[in-house]
Amino acid sequence: MESLINAAARALAAGDPLGALNRVALRNDAPSLALRGIAMAQLGDLAKAKTLLRSAARAFGPREAVARARCVVAEAEIALVSRDLGWPAKMLAAARTTLEKHGDVANATHAGHIEARRLLLVGRLDEAERILAELGTSPLPPAPQVVRELVVAGIAIRRLRTKDARAALGRAARAASLAGIPGLTAEVENANRVLDTPAARLITHGDERPLLLEQVEELAASDALVVDTFHHSVRRRGTIVSLGTRPVLFALARALAQAWPADVSREALMASAFGARHVDDSHRARLRVEIGRLRAKLKPLADVAATKQGFALTPRKTRQVMVLARPVEEKHAAVLAFLSEGEPWSSSALALALGTSARTVQRALDELARSNKVQSFGHGRARRWMTPPVPGFPTGLLLPGPLLKT
Amino acid sequence: MKRSAAEIVREYGPFAGVEAVHGVTYDGSHVWFASGDKLSAVDPESGKIARSLDVAADAGTAFDGRHLFQIAEDRIQKIDAASGKVLGTIPAPGGGGDSGLAWAEGSLWVGQYRERKIHQIDPDTGKVLRTIESKRFVTGVTWVDGELWHGTWEGEDSDIRRIDPETGKVLEQLDLPAGTMVSGLESDGGDRFFCGGGANGNVRAVRRPRRG
Repeated sequence: MESLINAAARALAAGDPLGALNRVALRNDAPSLALRGIAMAQLGDLAKAKTLLRSAARAFGPREAVARARCVVAEAEIALVSRDLGWPAKMLAAARTTLEKHGDVANATHAGHIEARRLLLVGRLDEAERILAELGTSPLPPAPQVVRELVVAGIAIRRLRTKDARAALGRAARAASLAGIPGLTAEVENANRVLDTPAARLITHGDERPLLLEQVEELAASDALVVDTFHHSVRRRGTIVSLGTRPVLFALARALAQAWPADVSREALMASAFGARHVDDSHRARLRVEIGRLRAKLKPLADVAATKQGFALTPRKTRQVMVLARPVEEKHAAVLAFLSEGEPWSSSALALALGTSARTVQRALDELARSNKVQSFGHGRARRWMTPPVPGFPTGLLLPGPLLKT
Repeated sequence: MKRSAAEIVREYGPFAGVEAVHGVTYDGSHVWFASGDKLSAVDPESGKIARSLDVAADAGTAFDGRHLFQIAEDRIQKIDAASGKVLGTIPAPGGGGDSGLAWAEGSLWVGQYRERKIHQIDPDTGKVLRTIESKRFVTGVTWVDGELWHGTWEGEDSDIRRIDPETGKVLEQLDLPAGTMVSGLESDGGDRFFCGGGANGNVRAVRRPRRG
């Protein structure tokens, strides 16, 4: 609308935040503040960006509802990228409604994508899918198309539908090259790497090998009996026995599956399930009880037969027993899994994503930091954690949308 | 003050590769519009783009009979309409906060958007000769038959209004439908205004009310 603002917005859209800053660096009117905020966000100074966007939202007049809604969307994206998951989602939803009502489809879609990405991150896949459905399937310009396909791929990956994930990533790559924004292309490549990196280990007959996500999916469709350490369940195709709330039973099932077709001694079972080093009669009695419980649980899938020195698994309707384990098994593997995506996290956001207490996460992080597996920066509430080998700060798809265009 | 609904008589566009229209002018046969990195001339009969010039074009556009004037960033470029060559530049009075541009009576008239002002400037030096205050954010500016008209956009509402060039008082107002934006204004000298449609990338023709 204003000459310099239009020129700066044009520079931003072309991926030139410094060019945009050059044009509005000394101006403090509302649109300039907003533009400076977005440029700072793209340059990685998220704290400064947040402050600028806040002041911009205040500086826009009461009748400039759309402009203020755009500032809220930009701030929400910064919160997402800095893994500030406690940011009020309601404000984003309200901003999205305002934008929709005023016909700003591009930014309303952008707001919806941010909501969907946040839900995906905290594992609320159904809700993320619902938001995508609300946004419709009409063709989008290249940059937002990349974002949509990445969310679709993310959902597919977590749902173990690798074919859908690869198809979405293929579409994302094409859209990214059309958009010509290097940050987006890098984002798609990162996502592709997830599919080409071992996602799990398969343990069978005492042997183990790495599995790609696709092979994990094949395994889920095969008729093998799988003890799944990701979901703490035992399953064969659609028949699933969840042992998520029964860690002792799961430990027993896993020990038995790993040894199959051999049996496992009582001592070894007690050691792996109870952590018992010195075995006494009370342990033996407890093992009998727990084996009885496991037998009842696994009834549709397998029998647990007593042998001379212990117990052995006898699967029904299949000649294969496997254990599906994380690629690297160590303490705090779940915390590391979240950090390994390369984004900085706050401990409270990790707690939210993992569904545990902030205290527990903090203890895990401290322990991991002592062995140099994670590192932190910032202090107090602004403290963030990440895994060490980070090639610069990833863009996290920050604000490629036309947030400031009239 | 007379107030009525604006009558949109025709829409041009959307045009390929045009994301937003920032300014419009009319050279007697074609409607020129600014779209960021180029100026394009549309044939008002066929609605087709006849030619385009690659120049920075962030806001208002004007035509003095020989040259096109185009705001880019914080300056006004004087462009040879035939060759597309930039012949010279003068500073824009709003320092980049400028929006609309019109040529009349030997002066350039520049809308300063958020300041709600229209400046009359010397087209050779950029010197501000006088300033008219408006009540709304000013987008396009045009003169026709001694009448000063300008577009407004504020709080998602747009209108085209005729103001008293001496006092800034609103004399007549044409309201556009809610959410329809005016981002550039030019009269064809007859009974049409050409308006930029902002982010929708269209150019609209709006009927100018007849006197008497």
